Amino acid sequence: MMHLPNHWPYIAAAYGLTIGCSLVLGIGAALRLRRAKTRLAAVESQLRHRESSAS
Amino acid sequence: MRPTPNLLHRYANPGQFLRLARALQPWLSTGAIIFLTVGIVWGLFFAPADWQQGETVRIMYVHVPMAWLASSCYLGLAICGLLSLVWRHPLADLAAIEIGPVGACAAALCLITGSLWGQPMWGTWWVWDARLTSVLVLFFLYLGHIALIRAFDEPARGQRAAAILALAGAIDLPIIKFSVQWWNTLHQPDSITLTGAPTMSMTMLWPLLITTIGFTLGVAAVIFARLSAAIHESRTRQLMARSRLNRSDRSAA
Amino acid sequence: MTRKTRRLWIVIACLACISSAAALTLRAFSSNIVFFMAPSQVKAHPPAPDRTIRLGGMVMAGSLHRITENGAPVNSFNVTDGQAAVEVHYTGILPDLFREGQSVVALGTVQKDGGFTASEVLAKHDETYMPKEVAEELKRTGKWDPRFGKAPDAASWDTMTAKKAGG
Repeated sequence: MMHLPNHWPYIAAAYGLTIGCSLVLGIGAALRLRRAKTRLAAVESQLRHRESSAS
Repeated sequence: MRPTPNLLHRYANPGQFLRLARALQPWLSTGAIIFLTVGIVWGLFFAPADWQQGETVRIMYVHVPMAWLASSCYLGLAICGLLSLVWRHPLADLAAIEIGPVGACAAALCLITGSLWGQPMWGTWWVWDARLTSVLVLFFLYLGHIALIRAFDEPARGQRAAAILALAGAIDLPIIKFSVQWWNTLHQPDSITLTGAPTMSMTMLWPLLITTIGFTLGVAAVIFARLSAAIHESRTRQLMARSRLNRSDRSAA
Repeated sequence: MTRKTRRLWIVIACLACISSAAALTLRAFSSNIVFFMAPSQVKAHPPAPDRTIRLGGMVMAGSLHRITENGAPVNSFNVTDGQAAVEVHYTGILPDLFREGQSVVALGTVQKDGGFTASEVLAKHDETYMPKEVAEELKRTGKWDPRFGKAPDAASWDTMTAKKAGG
């Protein structure tokens, strides 16, 4: 049997960093999209309300 | 609404793009989750150890997708630059703003996972060979693009400058690809090429393909979500600006 | 010519200029971009004795000698590119991947006697990824000895699984 090196800490660090970054990017994008949608909806309804009350 | 003349301009309309994104989003994200779960579990626990690298070869299943994504996101930036400079495509600049940070993340992860692979295998965290250096240059191109596109008070000027940087920096992509063939490097040549059979066991190639597809779908989903969010945000800004204008008109009258 | 086509041609012209500039620069510097020198290059044009170079090649089978001197491992081995060989001396711990038949890159200086004193040895692995059971099987059946060169053509083993190789 030849000597096979074992370097699990390096493997764990590589996977941990990659999965962590992917999760942060993915969840961040989803939250940002939801916030942007609700904010746009709020502004639109507010403007519509103001226009109908002004006319 | 005006008729859409061709494919290039069909998704120039942000509304059309939002509809496309909304239709694709669930497929992209579920696909990414399934492929990534299967690929990572397979790569981490079921793929065989390599005859010379042992278990450490498993870093490949995250390192290679990151390298692929770093290059393809930059290709995306360059295409956005071309669309923005030549056709003044309205979505291209918005897309460039959103793709930049994602690509920079992929490039950084490619460098870090490569370093974590190099230290136990080669015996060094970093060497200045042609492959590693050209990928580091790609990372700095991303940082430059991110900074430049936000550097001006008038967004159009920053977007113009960033588009030029993205196009000029695309020269780095063939250099990265062929560096391992043109010069002798510490980094090994590509195992998967268009011209020949892969010099890799099928038992390792499958998990690699699956994680690559998974990360690609995931990045597509993230970019679509970021771009949709950016369109919503810019609409909100326009509406706010218009209402402020109306109010100031009314108060002036 | 419309404004769009004019802009397209300007962009194409700029890209052509930049790529030719990059290609010329890379051609001019190609000898500096090379990460290491092969033993035959070192033999043909020996660098100055005080100049640090990187020497790259395969560790020749049967050439590795390890002794321990004052508690530190002293290694000597021949590095070859198939045309010439250089004897390398290195005091220190070799990387895990180091073995006979492995490609290595050594950083150091060429001595007056033609030997090479290394201050750092890096292992360079090739692009062949093979389960270790398959490698054992290829060695057992005499199809490949890793000490004497690259693995056989991938098509002959890439569908061999651990189970088939072990049984």
